[in-house]
Amino acid sequence: MIFFTCLCSDGGGFSSILSSFSKLFFIAGVSSNSVGNKIYINLNETFPCVRLLNATHQIGCQSSFAGDVGVVHLLESEENLDWVLGSGPNPPYMVILESTLFTRPIMMKLKHGSQRVAGVVVVEPTTNPPDGFSPHTSCPNENTGVYSESYGPSYAHCNVTVWNPLGTGLSYEEFDFPIFSMKDSNDTEVLRRCYREHNRAVNGSTPQYPLCAMQLFSHMSAVRDTATCMRRSEIPFSLTPEEVCDPLGDENVWASTKPLNNTAKGHKEGESVVIAAAKMDSRSFFFDVAPGADGTATGLVALLAAANALRNATAELNRTILYTFFHGETFDYIGSSRMVYDMENNQFALDLDNVHSILEVGQVALGSNSRLWLHSDPVSRRNSSVNVEKLASNLHLAAAGLNISLEEPNVTQPLPPSSLQRFLRARPIPGVVIENHQASFTNKYYQSIFDNAESLQLNYSPNLTAEEQLEFVTDAAKNLTEVATAVARGLYLQAGGHPAGMNAVQADSRLVRPMLYTFLVRGKNSWSEQLRGQSSDGDVSSFSSEDRPTNFYIGVHQQMSEPRFMVQTILANLTGTIVNVTKENCQKQKEDEEDVRNKHLYYYQWVQGPLRPNSTERDSFCVRSGVRRFAAKSPAFVLREYTS
Amino acid sequence: MNLERLPNEEKLILCRKYYLGGFAFLPFLWLVNVVWFFREAFVKPAYTEQLQIKAYVKWSAVGLLFWVAVLTTWITIFQHFRAQWGEVGDSLSFTIPLGTP
Repeated sequence: MIFFTCLCSDGGGFSSILSSFSKLFFIAGVSSNSVGNKIYINLNETFPCVRLLNATHQIGCQSSFAGDVGVVHLLESEENLDWVLGSGPNPPYMVILESTLFTRPIMMKLKHGSQRVAGVVVVEPTTNPPDGFSPHTSCPNENTGVYSESYGPSYAHCNVTVWNPLGTGLSYEEFDFPIFSMKDSNDTEVLRRCYREHNRAVNGSTPQYPLCAMQLFSHMSAVRDTATCMRRSEIPFSLTPEEVCDPLGDENVWASTKPLNNTAKGHKEGESVVIAAAKMDSRSFFFDVAPGADGTATGLVALLAAANALRNATAELNRTILYTFFHGETFDYIGSSRMVYDMENNQFALDLDNVHSILEVGQVALGSNSRLWLHSDPVSRRNSSVNVEKLASNLHLAAAGLNISLEEPNVTQPLPPSSLQRFLRARPIPGVVIENHQASFTNKYYQSIFDNAESLQLNYSPNLTAEEQLEFVTDAAKNLTEVATAVARGLYLQAGGHPAGMNAVQADSRLVRPMLYTFLVRGKNSWSEQLRGQSSDGDVSSFSSEDRPTNFYIGVHQQMSEPRFMVQTILANLTGTIVNVTKENCQKQKEDEEDVRNKHLYYYQWVQGPLRPNSTERDSFCVRSGVRRFAAKSPAFVLREYTS
Repeated sequence: MNLERLPNEEKLILCRKYYLGGFAFLPFLWLVNVVWFFREAFVKPAYTEQLQIKAYVKWSAVGLLFWVAVLTTWITIFQHFRAQWGEVGDSLSFTIPLGTP
């Protein structure tokens, strides 16, 4: 098992253009008298690539401690690389790549010529590349899934299906120079002009000084692998104790249709739960940028809407449904591996014996054909006690009458990368993963900066105001509502609901629209503001993303991640009930002064509520729900065994 | 301290002190001995104590060279191989560089 667990960053990085090596200064309209401002132009809106460690390797980028300086060179084509790597007279060069040139062959050549390369800057285009782009590996989470030499060896290492054929694996390479991404804006124009005027070689002549240069800072403290790094962070008698790296992690969120005592851990007699799972994280090549539209947000929104659709039907179910949202699945299943570990060690409210079946919602953005596929594990299916057929037939029944068609891929096809694989590693459990691809991903931008609203064709007409955009009915929202309804009905049937009552379960598109908008376009809007909670110390925790889509990156465990906070808040509001409790009691997790029982069963959240008309006051209230959180940090950090 | 003003016996006593002190893992005392008493031992015209001072200076030089050899070897090995020694290297280090192995 390899855990992508350790993130190292020294507070991110920043970049600036140094205008010349000689005494000339670059006029950029800055009227300050500071000498620094006369020499440097600071570049805003840049994202570095950072170093990550796992049990055996380090990946990502590193700059020197004082930053790397190089002469700017705008790469015009792959042949032009020769200037950088061989013939250019002023190494080291700072290579500016337009996004069409950010390919594996070019990056590998730069990596091997790194003596002459001081760094790379990739210009982010304004539209997605039509041919697709994925810096992730072609076989995601290859070594930490269920298929291995001992379980379905013919399915291991993507022998049967290469899930991410467009994957170049760039995110998992190691570079010893800094790589930044820059938005295509005025600063980029300044950069290009500077290159054309000073650095460009015309007609075979060598460019003379003064030349434009650039400096990039992104020094990373951690090195080699997780074990080394954790050891160095924990030196007992050091004069200069230093945290050299932090584990990746955050929290998973779960909620149940029936209140479960969260304080009593371990097996619960008589409970048989259906786990409805989705993941809530994503990544890209660059740090803290992870739009994750098809890869993450679609499944997430579908499950949230399904949870809401089932809120009134829970009385008719004889099995409990456990909605679980895993964090960190991108990095070798951080969240689900932790949940399985907790369940095996009686650290969770249930254990694996309580789990009846698992339904996972994966990438569910519907293309033009509205087909979804029910993936299952061929190895566990051979075991007659593992009843996947019932789950699949319930889903087929659920989708009847809806505008989507559910099909099953070939029986010999293994499971795609999914949280279900971690559960199967522990024991055979019937499970189905709903995806929009039959074999390889249809998502052309898997785990990249381009997996955004545009790739889902979530187009809002520009003359709509933010409020109108929130309400606008997009095709993506309509499709996703159908998917959510199918998921909800499928869960209803699997949890023992009667088919006659199925049609009453319907996902609400008035919720799907603002959820998609919040996750993919703008995180802070009137809908999300009214759901936001206030924690007991009065701090109105911010959704933090203002004018931009949600950043689905898991980040380090000390920092709250946006998607987890949003999911927790949305889930509480969508599955909870409003109770008449004062703000003080609500924040202390009790319904009245003497109440001590309810905090074991429920979670109370004081919600801001909607704005009163013509005022800035809000009608706040208390929501009681079964939403819980638990740590999503790899079990390796609990066991302190970093080498497996 | 000006050696010119000292009587010869005291020069001998000083030289001996430094020589003996160097055995307490203090090679710098031997370095000082060699540098300071070099003139006294080899350049000045002969006097009674000079023979013994000469001996002390010579043996201090030998000890010094031995230490230089040992330290140079160890420092070279450590700087070269510390990164490869993993945990042992880290536990031997006072400060560990950031970002490089």
